[in-house]
Amino acid sequence: MSMINDLIYFETPALWEDFGGTSGGYGGLVWQVFIWSLIVGLIVFVWMAYNLIYFRHKEGDPEHKDSLKAGVFPHERGDAKIELAWTIAPLILAIWLTFISLAPLDYLWDIPEEDDVDIVIEVTAVQWQWTFDFPNDYEVPEDFTKCGELNEAGVRQQNEITTYDCLELPHDSMVRFNINSNDVLHAFYIPEIGVKHDAVPNIETLVWIDTGQVDPGEYNLYCAEYCGESHSRMLANIYITEA
Amino acid sequence: MNNKSLKILSVGFLISILVALSAFPTGDALSSGITGSTTSTVEANGCSCHGPEVTTSVSIELTLPENFTAGGTYTLTLNISGGPNDGVRGENYGGFFVTATHGILEPLENDTSVQKPFDKTHLTHTTEGNDYRGWNFSWTAPDRDDVIVTFTAYGNSVNGDGGASNADRWNSGSFDLMGVNAVAISDKHVELTTPQKMIYAFTILAVTLGVVVIGNRMVTNEQAFEEVLRDAWKAIYPWLTTTDHKYIGLLYISTGFIFLFIAGFLALLLRVQLFEADNDFMTDQEYNSTFTMHGTTMIFMAAMPIIFGFANYLVPLQIGARDLAFPRLNALSYWLLPTGGLLIYAGYFTGGAGDVGWTGYAPYSSGDTATKPGTDFWVAGQIMLGASSTLTAINFLTTILRMRAPGVTFMKMPLYTWSMFITVFLLLLSIPVFTVALILLMADRTFGTLYFDISAGGDAVLWQHLFWYFGHPEVYILILPAFGILSEVTSTFSRRPIFGYTSMVYAMASIGIISFVVYGHHMFTSGADPFFRFAVMLTTMLVGVPTGIKIFNWLATMTGGSIVTKTPMLFALGTILTFTIGGITGVILAMLPLDIALHDTYFVIGHLHYVAVGGVLFAFLAGVYYWYPKMIGKMLSEKLGLLHFTLSFISFNVAFYPMHHVGLAGMPRRYASYDSSLTELNQLISIGAFVFGIAQIILVYNLIYSFKYGEEAGDNPWDGWSLEWATSSPPPHNSFKEIPTLKLAEEAE
Ligand code: HEM
Ligand SMILES: [Cu+2]
Ligand SMILES: [Cu+2]
Repeated sequence: MSMINDLIYFETPALWEDFGGTSGGYGGLVWQVFIWSLIVGLIVFVWMAYNLIYFRHKEGDPEHKDSLKAGVFPHERGDAKIELAWTIAPLILAIWLTFISLAPLDYLWDIPEEDDVDIVIEVTAVQWQWTFDFPNDYEVPEDFTKCGELNEAGVRQQNEITTYDCLELPHDSMVRFNINSNDVLHAFYIPEIGVKHDAVPNIETLVWIDTGQVDPGEYNLYCAEYCGESHSRMLANIYITEA
Repeated sequence: MNNKSLKILSVGFLISILVALSAFPTGDALSSGITGSTTSTVEANGCSCHGPEVTTSVSIELTLPENFTAGGTYTLTLNISGGPNDGVRGENYGGFFVTATHGILEPLENDTSVQKPFDKTHLTHTTEGNDYRGWNFSWTAPDRDDVIVTFTAYGNSVNGDGGASNADRWNSGSFDLMGVNAVAISDKHVELTTPQKMIYAFTILAVTLGVVVIGNRMVTNEQAFEEVLRDAWKAIYPWLTTTDHKYIGLLYISTGFIFLFIAGFLALLLRVQLFEADNDFMTDQEYNSTFTMHGTTMIFMAAMPIIFGFANYLVPLQIGARDLAFPRLNALSYWLLPTGGLLIYAGYFTGGAGDVGWTGYAPYSSGDTATKPGTDFWVAGQIMLGASSTLTAINFLTTILRMRAPGVTFMKMPLYTWSMFITVFLLLLSIPVFTVALILLMADRTFGTLYFDISAGGDAVLWQHLFWYFGHPEVYILILPAFGILSEVTSTFSRRPIFGYTSMVYAMASIGIISFVVYGHHMFTSGADPFFRFAVMLTTMLVGVPTGIKIFNWLATMTGGSIVTKTPMLFALGTILTFTIGGITGVILAMLPLDIALHDTYFVIGHLHYVAVGGVLFAFLAGVYYWYPKMIGKMLSEKLGLLHFTLSFISFNVAFYPMHHVGLAGMPRRYASYDSSLTELNQLISIGAFVFGIAQIILVYNLIYSFKYGEEAGDNPWDGWSLEWATSSPPPHNSFKEIPTLKLAEEAE
């Protein structure tokens, strides 16, 4: 994509788009915020441009009667009605934006119980590596080899139950991540799926995704909370594979 | 120090060492060998993923020849013994990692148990070699034989479960091999890191410059060396001993701008590193130290001092006082600033400045992997800066409450003074909390306490609460004075009173109050209580309301005015635009579900620079152009000012606007490398940043040029109303010949 395109096109995580344009979903939220941002920004820009066009000082302009004099507190200027209006309007907007945030928040934070999901993965973050543990009774599909070891011939073998910096998940399943850290803070972040949560020592944090909401393929996992020297290399690949 | 306290001290040290060891990080080990990013982990911490500590139950033997000749090739053997399942061979039995300071390590031909990972110089086992406890490999000597080569080997005795576990045991060993002509004392050079080299270069440059200036004086004035020094001392002495608010103000402002340029230089180093997706301009650790020093310097040693500098100079003038309430305390506050700053920067000479980010999150900062002692220097210096700010806050509060001239009642104070009044109020309530947190952190790091120690059951989120309780009010401590300046400048250059003076005051006051109950928006993805996080989304949204009122009031001030577009006004107009963008992105971040996606990405970096540079710095540049005539008595060049503004405004947006896109594409902040698909945008950002940096040289030139050749300013060059314009430029020694009385427009007519 060209750079100009990059600059005007705001890419949204895949999940948000797949939520559709309803105000209950992410897609709707992003869209609404975009519109409101544009409106507020335009009001300020246009008003300022208007001021600069119509109220520029010209040589020989008469001084206004309430113009400023050193050592004299000037006349009060203002209009209670107008000021009240631009107090109440942003207040309503703020409440509205909070309100429309609730549904997506509810969706994100409504973490399903372990019994209600297809796979529970124990994620352990340490400086500077991700470890993914499937449940002990999990059968790794035979053709899941993205994270397997190389054999002598250089061919990838079937994945193990425990993988490092690499995770292969079946498409169309509910996955819950139980996230732990063994040393400092880290954060589990998959930009294209729009999930992020800190990995906190001594506290298990939870994230869930529905891999049916995104296309099969390769996704990047980043550590998003600064954790020391190799923070920027604490990456992992997430593969979502058609089972 | 007597014997007893020495003993206590050593016990303290012992405890802290034990604590440090117990918090030892766990890394990883791979059955497929140590390659890629794991290398640096092993080099730093050993095989820490297999249990926390070195164990002597595992022994490591490297068989070496007696000595070596230049260019010779030798076969070496590494054996490990001891640890779990002590056998010679078995499934997943062991692993190793070996490096040499000189020469080249290579696997033997056709040996599939040893590998040299791509792009690395060390050797490690392969998946197959993981079934052995002994490995052979070759080493080719360097082409000199007068050195001692050190081999560092890690051996891991694994229990065979195929994963890293605490039942595994490992050890490391270091082996020296002498060249035939080597002398027993090794001549290993310590390589200087890039920042170290730069600092040495700058030191040499400064010393040379000093010699040239002094030499020049000696020759042109035919003075003896002592005379030159005596004259210099005479010039400096008043500055060292002054308690006059105007002198201290200028000291604060110039110190702030010097630090601003240092931190700006660091930022450009960061942008050089990010010019390419996977650059090796800096090491990871250097990158981390650099962004830490950049952020810390910008907030605490550039922005805050510039703010206090202007306040020192202007608040007494605007309220008609001769000085601050406690002039000596004021001098102490100032001198704590360069001292604390130097202390923090001294970290660079200890092998790595603090690398904990400006937020200093524990348990990373309290643990053992943060730079040592660089981070200790950072903590100690921050405590001094905190003390400085606390004292300043008390000083200004007292001054504004008690020392206003006749006629300057609360609701007749200029909005700039109002903004400082609320600022120091926030400061007094918030910064002691941060200082106390830093003292706890220092105790953890040096005395072995356990406040933030997670292995002792500490709460890993505690620091974030303590920090952001201060940290959020802090961002308003930075922006409120900027609001104050914008109010003064828009009103003066529209030649009309500010629109809605009263609502401006109430808006600032309510921002001040709300800012104490919103800090949780920095912790939306943390492990903090969900209800807490939800509640602060609401309150954060509310901050947008008074902020909006202020923007609309400025615009309304201009409507119906007679706008004069001199440089201060240009900067003020630019600030209103960029700050509006920063405010909008702030509201976007306040929406919890969106922040979950955007937190800790470049989107946040974009937001915070739109408010911190586009809001705070630009407003203070407006302040420089607005009050320089008052402080120095000369006008700044308008032509240079226009050029400075245009270049700054355009390059600022080029540098920072694309950060939002980079963030939406998923690039996390504090990253020294990134996905190569983002290279173009990052290069655009870097170029913008460089132009922005260079544009600031115009300001420096303008300041110096106008000091010498500027037009005389006169008392009131811009036709302002507040009391500083009623005295001479620069003001006389005691600021006012006679304490003035502020008149009311109604009376004056
Ligand atoms: C309209 C007013 C503002 C709102 C609603 C707002 C909101 C936010 C939010 C929600 C975050 C957290 C983002 C995240 O970490 O994911 C944030 C970060 C930040 N903001 Fe603001 N903000 C506002 C004004 C300011 C101002 C005036 C400044 C400074 C002059 C500022 C400086 C910062 C900084 C430094 C951070 C980054 C903190 C970090 O290191 O994580 N903000 N802001
Ligand atoms: Cu990290
Ligand atoms: Cu905040």
